[in-house]
Amino acid sequence: MPQRIEVLTTVEDGRAKTLQGYFANMGKSVKVRVADVYTLENDIPDPANLNRFMTSFVNPVIQQATLSTDAKPSVPGFPHDWAVEIGFLPGVTDNIGHTAQELLALTNLPPQAVYSSQVILIQGDVAKEDIDQFTSTLHNPLIQRAHIQAGVKPLPVVIPKVKLDNKGIAIDTVDLNISDDALALIGKDGIENADGSRRGPLGMSPIYMKAVQAYFKREGRPAKDIEIETIAQTWSEHCKHTIFASPIDDVKGGLYRHYIKRATNDIRAAKGSQDICVSVFKDNSGAIIFDDQWLITDKVETHNSPSALDPFGGAITGIVGVNRDCMGFGQGAKPILNRYGFCLADPASTPAYYRGKGKKNKMLSPETIMKGVINGVNHGGNCSGIPTPQGFLYFDDRYAGKPLVFAGTVGLIPRYINGKPSHEKRALPGDRIIMAGGKVGRDGIHGATFSSVALDEGSPATAVQIGDPITQKKMSDALIKEIRDLGLYHAITDNGAGGLSSSVGEMGGDSGGFLLELDKVPLKYPGMQPWEIWISESQERMTLAVPPENVDHLIALLAKRGVSAWDIGSFTDSGRARVSWHGDLIMDIAMDFLHDGVPETPLKTTFTRGGEPEPDLAEPDYRDAMLSMLSRLNICSKEFVAYQYDHNVQGSAVLGPLQGRGKVFAESSVSRPVLGNPRGVVLSQGLAPRYSDIDTYHMATASLDMAVRNAVSAGCPIEHLAILDNFCWCSADEPERLGQLKRACEAIYDAAVAYGTPFISGKDSMFNDFKGYDEHDKPIKISIPPTLLVSGIGVIPDVTQAVSLDPKQPGDLIYLLGTTRDELGGSEYYALHGKLGNNVPETDIHANFALYQKLSRFPLASSLAVTLGGLGVTLAKKCIAGQMGMNITLPDDLRFDCYLFSESTGRVVVTIAPADKTAFEKHFGSSARAIGTTTDQPVLTINRIKIDIMDMDVAYRKTLKGY
Amino acid sequence: MTAKALVVAGYGLNCEEETAQAFSYAGLGVVIRHVNDLADNPKELESVQILAIPGGFSYGDDTGSGNAFAQKMRLTLMDHLKKFVERDTLTLGICNGCQIAINLGLAPAFDKKYGERVVAVSHNLTARYQCRWVDVSVQSSTSPWLSGITRLHVPVAHGEGRFMMDDGVLATLRHQKQIALRYVKPDGSAANGEFPFSPNGSTDDIAGITDETGRVLALMPHPERGMFTSQRDDYATLKDAARRAGKSLPDTADGMDIFKNAAHYFETAKSRKSA
Repeated sequence: MPQRIEVLTTVEDGRAKTLQGYFANMGKSVKVRVADVYTLENDIPDPANLNRFMTSFVNPVIQQATLSTDAKPSVPGFPHDWAVEIGFLPGVTDNIGHTAQELLALTNLPPQAVYSSQVILIQGDVAKEDIDQFTSTLHNPLIQRAHIQAGVKPLPVVIPKVKLDNKGIAIDTVDLNISDDALALIGKDGIENADGSRRGPLGMSPIYMKAVQAYFKREGRPAKDIEIETIAQTWSEHCKHTIFASPIDDVKGGLYRHYIKRATNDIRAAKGSQDICVSVFKDNSGAIIFDDQWLITDKVETHNSPSALDPFGGAITGIVGVNRDCMGFGQGAKPILNRYGFCLADPASTPAYYRGKGKKNKMLSPETIMKGVINGVNHGGNCSGIPTPQGFLYFDDRYAGKPLVFAGTVGLIPRYINGKPSHEKRALPGDRIIMAGGKVGRDGIHGATFSSVALDEGSPATAVQIGDPITQKKMSDALIKEIRDLGLYHAITDNGAGGLSSSVGEMGGDSGGFLLELDKVPLKYPGMQPWEIWISESQERMTLAVPPENVDHLIALLAKRGVSAWDIGSFTDSGRARVSWHGDLIMDIAMDFLHDGVPETPLKTTFTRGGEPEPDLAEPDYRDAMLSMLSRLNICSKEFVAYQYDHNVQGSAVLGPLQGRGKVFAESSVSRPVLGNPRGVVLSQGLAPRYSDIDTYHMATASLDMAVRNAVSAGCPIEHLAILDNFCWCSADEPERLGQLKRACEAIYDAAVAYGTPFISGKDSMFNDFKGYDEHDKPIKISIPPTLLVSGIGVIPDVTQAVSLDPKQPGDLIYLLGTTRDELGGSEYYALHGKLGNNVPETDIHANFALYQKLSRFPLASSLAVTLGGLGVTLAKKCIAGQMGMNITLPDDLRFDCYLFSESTGRVVVTIAPADKTAFEKHFGSSARAIGTTTDQPVLTINRIKIDIMDMDVAYRKTLKGY
Repeated sequence: MTAKALVVAGYGLNCEEETAQAFSYAGLGVVIRHVNDLADNPKELESVQILAIPGGFSYGDDTGSGNAFAQKMRLTLMDHLKKFVERDTLTLGICNGCQIAINLGLAPAFDKKYGERVVAVSHNLTARYQCRWVDVSVQSSTSPWLSGITRLHVPVAHGEGRFMMDDGVLATLRHQKQIALRYVKPDGSAANGEFPFSPNGSTDDIAGITDETGRVLALMPHPERGMFTSQRDDYATLKDAARRAGKSLPDTADGMDIFKNAAHYFETAKSRKSA
């Protein structure tokens, strides 16, 4: 008999108060209490034992526990008119339940499953419809169940246990000697089950399927299901990045090799002994030199499709997933900084999009998605003890169907460990395959393609993953802080996309083969098919290559830290990728076919410049225009995110996400990761997706320029700055979109080489399109604007050289560095008027580089790059940050709104102490234009315009204040 | 012999390294010890003079922040912890460590009843994690941790920092001067629960409490994140002003004083004894 323990928080705690606020906003006065529920699968019969267990999680100062059954009213301790219970669906990660299980073990009671849920009790006169609406804001039906009950009555006891309906374990043989049409159908919809249904898309083109057919013909035998699934995973766009690898027009080497990798190679060659790169593109993260002793690593991932369905789960999995890209670098780097970025639709908008015809599977609202993804990175980053000082939110309504979720992690690792270069790793033949961390469930199976599959109550366990940051933190601490330097393993890598098939497949590439014993892989629940175990994307797992003599020691050390690990096979030099199931070989593919057998698919592109006629706008009321600009989503303060992300854990914070007395949201940050060492890490980013509507070349140079400029503005020498690229594209099977992509790649080659800033890591996500139905049930496709995020990571030799964005003292001199041109195309100012225009900012990479070399070599009082919103917005932000005024005089060679809001790149506004004037003007020469002074008056004066700083402050903060 | 601090780690605690750095900088010996290792060898507590439970997210705050970790320590270490605090030692719980110490009943421990839980540290009134700088004013003059300190400018970073207790407990805390720290506004006046000066809506603006001896201090703000000048939120301003004045900035900031006080406590204890 299950037992249900209900822990009522008797006082009005912060949670209750916030929920009451929801009703207060509707004009209803209610009292709310929260009860945390722990449901035991089997009862604890002995009352003394039960009491011991209950006291282990009841805080007697503010809580009381009751035992409820089907027959007894739930939570009688608080008289209520409504009870709303939210619990997890079967198979969804239940972290609280896991902790309760650990408490069970601590209390010396026999192990069993414990499931958590939460009951919200509402006392007050509220209609059922209001409760329904309230409940819909509290849970995501893809992963959670909700139960609404009127009055004080029993709530049903629910055991969300996974019951797989697999009719026995089967390794199916798949006959590939079939027609091309039938072959194509397998590639498109998956392998056919016995009952005629299909297992879900493999994402394999007919060309790929023909290659697989030919391979098994050569092998002289039919294929097994697991073999086809493995090839599909390994060759997927997600893993192989085929679009970037394929020949495209006359670029035979493909975009990645010809533009991105070549840029890095050219830069490294040009820098010679000053090269900062150590490990680029080949590992889970890229790495540059920090100092003589340390390397820093960086990787930025995207987790877009999952976040559209389960924003919280998608984002938390994104951040803890990229943490593992850090732990999986070389011998294992320690995560020291997280970064995030969200591209979203306006949270105040209420579009009605459906994934299914007939108004089925409604898309989550932009507000729900925004709150969910923010919360996901909050929980994942904060729980992991990794500071998150750097990030952004960018808004465009074309992200309503596919939000973009970027998550990045910077790592720190000694350059040498036990005398060997730490970035090198290699699984050797004979090494055991050790999987550490969590068990395997059906999480994320066919994850890359699930968004096109109708989701119902029966399927979410396979579709959605939720990270468990504490399980991972335990593993990270044990591996990186204690075990790594003992030299017990030869190689370590992350289990991400494709799960074991990918991690073991990659590591086996070094040794020359592997034999994985799939029946030794521990499962969350019985009944999984072998191919499912092999490709499952269950989280919190690392794979290690361990010499046999070290296996017991390693597993014992992990066990002492509460981390599980299993010996699941061996690396070989057989040249074969082999998997066995209780002794039978169920997969046996040549390693070189698996890794290099993917057929080339030549791509063709076209390109047409976009844009609209330049709008003919009347000159605005400039005070109103400035305030409207400050309130725009892409300009206004995102402090509500910064305050909820721990940005000073590890004690490394120097310049954080909010700068100056006025706490302005910054586009770069500085941290000091090695306490006692003066060197700092500078993080920055740049993106300008709206420019893509005109010309992706200029979008890409602007994005890269912003990332570089934001970093050098904070004091980073450009010579010690590297960058990462994240392409999020749409409809990448259309020649025009591919043409935009190619142009963007040309652009970042040009800019990166001009700046000498090498790419060290990158990732792409090529199909960010939403295909569904609108509010009239008409088919609709929404494609994101082609988005390139460029992230900067640099090293500042001494954090005393870090420069914040806020002006420091009245009477200081203000300079504009760089040239302002009539470049309002794609600007926030045009967007304010609903226009696009055409004269998109064109980046003068050589002039900019000359300026950036000088920037970090002068003691500036403050510095802020001119980005979205232009010079006017930059000046306003500086006034708000420093809480001081400015007297500015701008020339009249351009129309004034153009001067204020043009987004010409390459510009920085700096302030200096008057005593530094001569030296400053000598240092910067003609690239600096004196434009005014700071004042102790609370007013920004630009020519004849006067705006109170208090008004600007309100405008800057009001838009997202309510979140 | 230099006094030695033991900083607990494991299960999602995550501030052990910077907390150890703080003790070390203050001139104390320090060791980071995983709680499982400490449970295996609890006698190690007899060889150290300071116990620090650092910040973090033990067990992900599941079942209430600090609860599960406190339960783990209670079941494996309670007798040794009681012996430890009854000796002439210092104990520090920061943030998650504060929640653990309070769940363990190491503070306020009225009538030396270590182990009895009478205070709760609950969800912030915003029901949201708050990472921001605050000002706290020192109330207790009895705690060796706070000797000579009147104000601290330090950050908080927590989702559950609201001290809650019944009126009787509050009265006793006040009467016995066990309220160590209160949130104040930058001008020094009481925060009166006003956000963001009080980041969590804590009863009576309480940011930290002690046991009756003052040797056990449990506080929500993070002194180790405000121990160096370069960590401060106004670092850029201070740095610029110092440059103009031709001065150099001190390396350390407010938070370090707490750790220096610990070192000082054992130095004077030694000189007291040798005198």
